[in-house]
Amino acid sequence: MSNQFANNQATASKPSVRAKIQAMGGFLTNMVLPNIGAFIAWGILTALVIETGWLPNAHLAEMVGPTITYLLPLLLAYTGGRMVGGQRGAVMGSIGAIGLIIGSDIPMFLGAMIIGPFGGWVIKRFDKLIENKIRAGFEMVVNNFSIGILGFFLLLLSYTVIGPVISAANGFVTSAIEALVATGFLPLLSLINEPAKVLFLNNVIDQGIYYPLGMQETLEVGKSIYFTVASNPGPGLGLLLAFTFFGNKTSRRTAPGAIIIHFFGGIHELYFPYVLMKPLTILGMIAGGMSGIATFQLFGAGLVAGPSPGSIFAYLALTPRGNFTGIILGVLVATIVSFIVTSLILKFEKSSDEDDDQLTESIERSKTMKSEGKQIYSSSDDSAKTSAVNKISFVCDAGAGSSALGATTFRKKLQKADLNGIEVKHYRIEDAPQDSDIIVVHKNLLDRARMTFKDQKIITIDNYIGDPKLEELLQQLAKNNH
Amino acid sequence: MLSQYLTGNIACVDSVTSWEESIRLGAAPLLKNGNINESYIDDMIANVHEFGSYIVIIPGVAMPHAQNKGGVNKSGMSLLKLTEPVMYPEEKAVNLIMVLGAVDSNGHLDLISDLSTLLVDDDVLQALEQAKTETEILHVIKQAE
Repeated sequence: MSNQFANNQATASKPSVRAKIQAMGGFLTNMVLPNIGAFIAWGILTALVIETGWLPNAHLAEMVGPTITYLLPLLLAYTGGRMVGGQRGAVMGSIGAIGLIIGSDIPMFLGAMIIGPFGGWVIKRFDKLIENKIRAGFEMVVNNFSIGILGFFLLLLSYTVIGPVISAANGFVTSAIEALVATGFLPLLSLINEPAKVLFLNNVIDQGIYYPLGMQETLEVGKSIYFTVASNPGPGLGLLLAFTFFGNKTSRRTAPGAIIIHFFGGIHELYFPYVLMKPLTILGMIAGGMSGIATFQLFGAGLVAGPSPGSIFAYLALTPRGNFTGIILGVLVATIVSFIVTSLILKFEKSSDEDDDQLTESIERSKTMKSEGKQIYSSSDDSAKTSAVNKISFVCDAGAGSSALGATTFRKKLQKADLNGIEVKHYRIEDAPQDSDIIVVHKNLLDRARMTFKDQKIITIDNYIGDPKLEELLQQLAKNNH
Repeated sequence: MLSQYLTGNIACVDSVTSWEESIRLGAAPLLKNGNINESYIDDMIANVHEFGSYIVIIPGVAMPHAQNKGGVNKSGMSLLKLTEPVMYPEEKAVNLIMVLGAVDSNGHLDLISDLSTLLVDDDVLQALEQAKTETEILHVIKQAE
C-alpha cells in the first residue's frame, strides 16, 4: 500500500507530457460532446431540405446556413467558456465567438473552440484579481460591467483578427492544393484535404478548386477523379465506425446516428466534431482519403459531376457506366483503412490512459458504486483515489448557501490540519468546473449533480458541515499527504 | 460580522404549526427591511418541496435559502428560535432557523465564514440552545466571533 502512495505522489507532483496531452484531449471532448445533438439536428435538416437533398425546400433551407454559422460555433464557445470560467465564462466565450463568426464567411468551429475557453479564462482571471475587493452592494454592477467592458474588447479583437487569418488560411490551402495537383500524385491531396475539411473549409476547397478542375476534365473525357478527392464518404464512415466500437462511452452512443446522416445523408460535417475532440484521428482520415484516391486512380474511376451532398447515393448516381467497381472499391478501401488506423489510435489512447492514470479507474469504480445505489466513501482500499486531489467543489442548488457554508467549513478544517494546495470552492451545481476532482453534494441533489458530472467522483452527504463522510475525506487527504 | 447582520433580525417564539410557517416567520425581518421580497420566500419554500430538507445543515439547524431570481435586493440573514422544534421533511426536527438571502454566490462570504465558525463549535451550539431572547443570542454569537 505504501508503495502505491509513493507512486501516486510522484505522478501527482510531476505530470508527464503525455498526461498533459490527455488532459487537453479530455477538455476538447467535453467541449464538443455535449453539443453533438445540435450537429445532428443540423445534419438532418441539411440532408433533407437543401437543393440537392431528399426533400428540397427552399424556405426551410434558409435555416441551414445560419444554424451552422451561428448556432453551432456559439454552442462550442459557450461550452468551452463555461468549462473554464463557469456561467460568466460562458457569456464571455460567446461574446468572443460572435465576433469571429461575423468576421468570417466560413463556419468558425476551430476559432470558437479557442476563443470560448479564452474568454472564460479572461473573466476568471479578472474575477480573481478583484476578489474580495468590491464594496458590499456593488457586486452586481461590477459583475455585469466587467463582462460588458472586457467583452467589448474581446469582440473588437476577435472581429478584426479573424478576417485576415481566414483569408491567409484560404490562400495557403489553395496554393498548396494547386502545387500538389501539379505533381500529378493525387493521393497527396489528402494531406491538405482532410485537415482543411475538418476546419470547415470543405466547401471552399471542393467548390472553389476541385469542382472547376473536375468540370474541365469532364468536358474533355466525360468524367473526373477530382470530384472524388475530397468528397469520398468512406474515410468519415471508417472513422465513425471506429468511434462506434472503440470510442468512449458517449461517443459510442452517438456515433451510429452520425453515420446515418454522414454516409447516407452525405453531410460530412457530422464527423468533424469527432476529429476535433481526438485530433490525432486526423491521421486515420488522411490515410483513408489517400487510399481512396489511390484506388480511384488505379481503376481510372471518376464521377460525372460534383456529388453534393457527398452521400453514397449521390456517388452511385453520378458514376458513369463501367466505373462502378472503381468507385465502390475506392469508398470501401477508404472506409477500411480509416477504420483500422482510427481504431488503433483510439485503442492506443485508451490503453495509455489506463496505465498512466489511475484516476480513470477510480472514477469507473465510484460510478459502479453509485449504480449500486450506495455511494460510500470508505476505508483503506479507496485511499489511492484521493491522492491526486487538488480541487474539491461543494455544490448545491443556488451555489450561495449550503455549498458556501460547506466549502468554508471544510477549508477551515483543511487549514487546521495543515493541508495546503487543495482548492475548495462552492458553486451552483451546473457551474462547478469539470476538472473538479471531487464533487460534494447533498444526497437529495445527487441525480442533478450526476447529470453535470458524469465522470467525477461525487461524495454525497447528509449535511454540509459535520457529515461523517467529510471527516473521512479529511482523514484520507491527511493520510495521503504524509 | 454575523452579529451585525443579525441585529434587529432575531425572533424567538414558542412554536409554529409547520416548517413552511417557520420559513415565513423567520424571513419576516428580511422582508420588512427590504432585503428580500415575497417571491424569495416562495422560492425558499418551493426549494424544500423540490429538493427535500437539505437546508437542514446540521441537526436542529436549518438555513432556508434559494437562488436569487430577482427576489433578493441585499444580502442578509435573520434568525428564528423556536422553543418547540418543528418537523422538516424527512423527519428532521429543527429549532433554529437562519434565513439566508444572498444576492449572488460570492458577496456574503464573510457572513458564511462566521456562521461556519459558529456551527462547528459544540459549545456555541449548546449556548444557542439555551438562549431565549435576542440579547442572549446576540451575546453568544458575539462571543464566538
